[in-house]
Amino acid sequence: MEKNVLEWLEKAGRLTPDNIAYEDENTAITFRQTLEEARRIGSRLAEKITDPAPIAVMMGRTVHTIVSYLAVVYSGHVYAPIDVTLPEDRVCKILDTLQPSAVLTENENLETASKYAEIAKCPVFVREELNTGLTAWPVLNKIRIRMTENEPLYIIFTSGSSGRPKGVLTSHHSLMCYISAYSHMMGIRREDKIGCQSPLDYIAAVRDIYVPLLTGASDYLLPKEYFMQPDELFNLMNEKEITTIGWSTSGLTVLTKLGAFKDTGLKTLKKICFSGSVMPGKVLRIWQENLPDAVFVNQYGPTEATASCTYYRVDHQVTDDEILPIGVPYDNYNVFLLKDNGEEAAVGEEGEICVSGPILALGYYRDPERTEAAFVRNPLVTEYPDRMYRTGDIGKYREDGILEFHGRRDRQVKHMGHRVELDEIEAAAGQAAGVAECSVLYDHDKEIIWLFYSGEMEKRDLVLFLRTELPGFMIPRKVIKKEDLPKLPNGKTDLSSLKSEAGIQ
Amino acid sequence: MRDRILEILQDQRPDIDFENETELVSGGLLESFDIVSIVSELDDEFDIEITPKELKAENFDSLDALTKLVESLSEE
Repeated sequence: MEKNVLEWLEKAGRLTPDNIAYEDENTAITFRQTLEEARRIGSRLAEKITDPAPIAVMMGRTVHTIVSYLAVVYSGHVYAPIDVTLPEDRVCKILDTLQPSAVLTENENLETASKYAEIAKCPVFVREELNTGLTAWPVLNKIRIRMTENEPLYIIFTSGSSGRPKGVLTSHHSLMCYISAYSHMMGIRREDKIGCQSPLDYIAAVRDIYVPLLTGASDYLLPKEYFMQPDELFNLMNEKEITTIGWSTSGLTVLTKLGAFKDTGLKTLKKICFSGSVMPGKVLRIWQENLPDAVFVNQYGPTEATASCTYYRVDHQVTDDEILPIGVPYDNYNVFLLKDNGEEAAVGEEGEICVSGPILALGYYRDPERTEAAFVRNPLVTEYPDRMYRTGDIGKYREDGILEFHGRRDRQVKHMGHRVELDEIEAAAGQAAGVAECSVLYDHDKEIIWLFYSGEMEKRDLVLFLRTELPGFMIPRKVIKKEDLPKLPNGKTDLSSLKSEAGIQ
Repeated sequence: MRDRILEILQDQRPDIDFENETELVSGGLLESFDIVSIVSELDDEFDIEITPKELKAENFDSLDALTKLVESLSEE
């Protein structure tokens, strides 16, 4: 039984050494090259870094970033990808939680990465400089011997309502359960070519990184700026003969909003998986009409349950106002619904979606309080401890065993494929001197974040301030300054009045 | 027209110096959801239709390029 993702890499290196594993605009690397480079850089990291703490990886969108993740794994460390284009304040919060043993970067990002290494008081290493010398077999072998399948693999940071990002720590085994289940469900084979949309620091990228290692398929990193140029993107996908994609729903939505398929179609794409938010029927219909022979899969799940829990294979032509169900659990995922009284919801009843099984994350890194609040004992199993994760999402099982998604318990939304806590945006805006009161609303139909506020501050200055605190996708698109926010008789902000002002259904 | 386009751009992204930037798209300054909003605002404001044919980095990389694009589409 395989217990470590490196075994997948080593197997692919034996079976298909000369096939392309990863490709970007400038470089294509084979499985053999991936293996050799990861071992070389991993050897140097293992020799130089004795502190067992995670290694923060601050690199761009290239194949070398993926190799560097794998190199960190060889070195016996956990990798934590960090997007250096995030606001400095946010990166500092992440580093404060992470307390990394080192920062791994590349020449192109050295300046920024060095600044953060200094803040985190740890050394910085450049992958180009480490990619020399021989593989230190005794060192790497010694590391591998003590690794079990529960060894932590990566830490991916996600939004937290208090404004402090949470670092989701996931094991080799959890990741391998998900990747196996996903690859099997999508029927991905060696001949397939995957088109990667996800930023490499984001949870969705685990598919693009690890599916090739298991299946022998290759992954092409589509340039980010092509996602606003539908014809250019489709021409590139045709040229690279992309057969399968696992994208955020908003990736598909944005392209159709920009008029995709009008002049240029897709010629080789056969398998499409989307996740991250509810897919509008009118968007999926356009994709189905233009790709009548393709398979479409709606996927659902949180980072804490290793990317996804359930999938729904769309078996019919959808209508414009149709809401897709989220389907059935993947292999190794136990997905059930709990009512407020702690009992299991019957078929047809609503309940909070809960997950248990080997795919649960190990917890939030260096955050016992929030770990204990979210990963709790399953109340349905009283005879022995069974751990489960409460997603905060509401669901309902249909008679035929298919799960439907019925919204959130709290104010978390999925926006442009990202998880966004509206409270976190309010907390950030509330920090600005010159903001008296503020309220954040979300228009699900138009995918727009609204911010209403009162106070001295000018709209433009507030947006500029928010850009120093929050990632770009969390910045409200509509900012409305008011004398006072409308109030209910009990003194609370009248959200329904603000909703109608924003034209939100 | 240039001033009105500038206003629309600044309204979307007050943090960008649109007068001087020349790599708005190819330099990764604008996100795809910025482009969606900008395209729909320009379409409405100038009664034009920007289609995928025009959605190329060279048409969106600077205020001048964008102004040229809107001008040529308005003439049609």
